[in-house]
Amino acid sequence: MLPDTESAEPVQRVSHRLEARDLTLAYEARTVAEGLDLRIPDGRVTVIVGPNACGKSTLLRALGRLLKPVRGAVLLDGEELARVPTKRIARRIGLLPQSPSAPEGIAVADLVSRGRQPHQSWWQQWSAEDEAAVAEALERTSTAELAERGVDELSGGQRQRVWIAMALAQGTDILLLDEPTTFLDIAHQVEVLDLVRRLNVERGRTVVAVLHDLNQAARYADHLVAMKDGRIVAQGPPAEVVTAELVREVFGLESVVVPDPVTGTPLVVPGAPWAATVDA
Amino acid sequence: MSTVALRGYTVLRAGPASFLLHRRAALAALGLLLALAATVVASLCLGESTVAPGEVLKVVLGQPSPHELVVGEFRLPRVVVGLLAGTALGLAGALIQTVARNPLASPDVVGVSWGATATVVGLLAYGVVDSTGQVPYAAVAGGLAAGLLVYLLAWRRGLHAQRFVLIGIGVSVALSSLTSVFLTKGDGFQAQAAKVWMTGSLNGSGYDQAGWLAWVLLAAVPVALWAARAQRSISFDDATAVGLGLRLDRIRLGMALLGVVLASCAAGAAGPVDFVALMAPQIAVRLARSVQIPLFCSALTGALVVVLADLLARRLLAPVELPVGVVTGLVGAPYLMWLLIRSRRGGS
Repeated sequence: MLPDTESAEPVQRVSHRLEARDLTLAYEARTVAEGLDLRIPDGRVTVIVGPNACGKSTLLRALGRLLKPVRGAVLLDGEELARVPTKRIARRIGLLPQSPSAPEGIAVADLVSRGRQPHQSWWQQWSAEDEAAVAEALERTSTAELAERGVDELSGGQRQRVWIAMALAQGTDILLLDEPTTFLDIAHQVEVLDLVRRLNVERGRTVVAVLHDLNQAARYADHLVAMKDGRIVAQGPPAEVVTAELVREVFGLESVVVPDPVTGTPLVVPGAPWAATVDA
Repeated sequence: MSTVALRGYTVLRAGPASFLLHRRAALAALGLLLALAATVVASLCLGESTVAPGEVLKVVLGQPSPHELVVGEFRLPRVVVGLLAGTALGLAGALIQTVARNPLASPDVVGVSWGATATVVGLLAYGVVDSTGQVPYAAVAGGLAAGLLVYLLAWRRGLHAQRFVLIGIGVSVALSSLTSVFLTKGDGFQAQAAKVWMTGSLNGSGYDQAGWLAWVLLAAVPVALWAARAQRSISFDDATAVGLGLRLDRIRLGMALLGVVLASCAAGAAGPVDFVALMAPQIAVRLARSVQIPLFCSALTGALVVVLADLLARRLLAPVELPVGVVTGLVGAPYLMWLLIRSRRGGS
C-alpha cells in the first residue's frame, strides 16, 4: 500500500470509493502503464499530470471502465469494476472524454437530458426526477439560457459547459474529466476549472481530472498525481508534491517554483531560458 | 423546482410510466401511413384494367367480386410482398446506418445484397436450383453468410464502425466480381433468369414469400424497440456512450445482426432491390427532423418507396413491365449523388 499522504488534514480520515490496485494497462500488445496503485480521495479534486504519452489519459480511461486492465483491478465501492454492469457504474461515475462528439443538430437541452439515460428504462423515459436533474445541471453550468440552441452553434467554452452539464445531469458522485480545458482559451479554461471546483465544493462531488498545465493542476487540485512513463512518480497535496526536483524528474525541465501570487499554490516558472543558455 | 422544456418532445405520463414522443416524427409517421395507404389502393386499382376502389375494398375484405382474380390473385400478393420487403429494407438500412454512423452504409454496402446475389446467380447459372421455390432460401442464406463474414472480419475487440463499412465494401466488390464470373461461365439461358432476379422484381410474388417475411418482421419488433432506446446514446462517440451505461458491443451486435437478417430476408422475397435501404432512412430522418435515424419512419418510408416504385415499374412503360429494382435504382442513384454533394450529416 502507498504511504498515506493526506497529511495536510491530519485529523480527518478520507474515504476512497474509487481505487486502482496494481494496475497494468495496455493497448493491444503495447503496455502503457504498469503496477499503478491509486486511491481517489472522496469529495476532493484529484488531478493527474505528466508529460505527453505518460499514460495519464489511459489511467483515467481505466478508472472509467473504458479500458479493461491487463492485470490488477479498479475497485468501485469495493467491487471490481469489470464485474459491475456498465449501467450501474453509470449511476455512480460520470465521465467526460477528451473530445466528445454530439449527434449533429442536437439542441442543448436534448443533449443534457441524455445524461439521464442510466436512470431511465423503456417505460420510464422522462420522470420528474429527470426533469429536475436536467434543470439543475443547466442552471449550475449557466447553460439554461442556451437550452434551445443547437450544440453546433456554440463556442468552445459554451460547448464544454454543456458537456459538463450532461455529466452533471447523470447525477453521479464521481466525475472523471479528460483534459476538459484542451482547445479553450485561457479565460474559458479558468471558467471551466472554476465551475469544476464549485461543483466539488458546493456539491461534494469527487472529481478526477487529467490536466495538461501543471500550474492549473497545482491551483485546482487537492490531490495531485504525477505520472511518468506509465508510473506514478509522486502524489499528495500540490504544495508538497510540486517542487523543482519533481518538475525536473517528471518533465525534464529546469524550473523555479514560487508561490502563486493569487492563491499561494506552487507556481512553476521554467528556468534557464533559451537566451540565457546561449549567453552561457 | 425549476423545470425544463424539451423542445420538440411531448411527455406522455401514466402513473409511474413516462414516454417521450418526438412530435415531428409522430407527424411524419402519420403522413407516411396515409401516403402508404393511398399508394396501396392505387396499386390495387391501376393496371391493365382499372378497378374502382370500392370493388378493391370488397376483394380485400373477402366479399364476392368480379375482380377477384385480377385484384386478389395478381395484384394483392405483389403489393403485400412489396410492403413487407420495403418495411424490412427500410428498417435494415436504419439499423445499419445507426451502427455504422454513416449515411452511406446500407445492406448493399455491407455485403448482404451481393452475398444474396452471388449465391442465387451461382446456383441458378450452374443449374443447382431452378428459378422457382428454392431461390428465396438461397438468397437468405447467401445474404446472411456474407453479412456475418463482414461482421467477423470487422470484429476486433468490439465492432469498429469504419472497419465495418470498409470491410463490407471490400467483400461486396469481391462478391460482385464472383457474380460476373458466374454470369459469363454459367449456362446462358439460366444466366438470363438470374439477371432478371438480380435487378429485384416483385413480378410473380406470392403469399409464400410474404408469410415468413411477416414472421421475421414481427419478431424484429421487440428488438427494434430495444434498439430505439439505445439510439439515444449510441449516436455519441464511443466513450460517451459507454459512460452513459450503454453496452456498446452488445447493442451494435444486435442492431447489425437484425439489419443483416432483415435485408437478407427482403432479398429472398423480392431480390436485391437497390438503394431502398440506403435512402429510406435518410428520407425519414429529414421528414422527422430527428437527431437520430427514426426506425419506425424508416420502415414506413421503405415500404412506401418499394410499393410506389413497383407501381411505376408496372405502369410507366405499360404494357412492358420493369423490375422494381430498376425504378428504385433510377431514383436512388441521383438521390445518392444529391446526398453526397449537399449533405453534411454524419460521415465520420
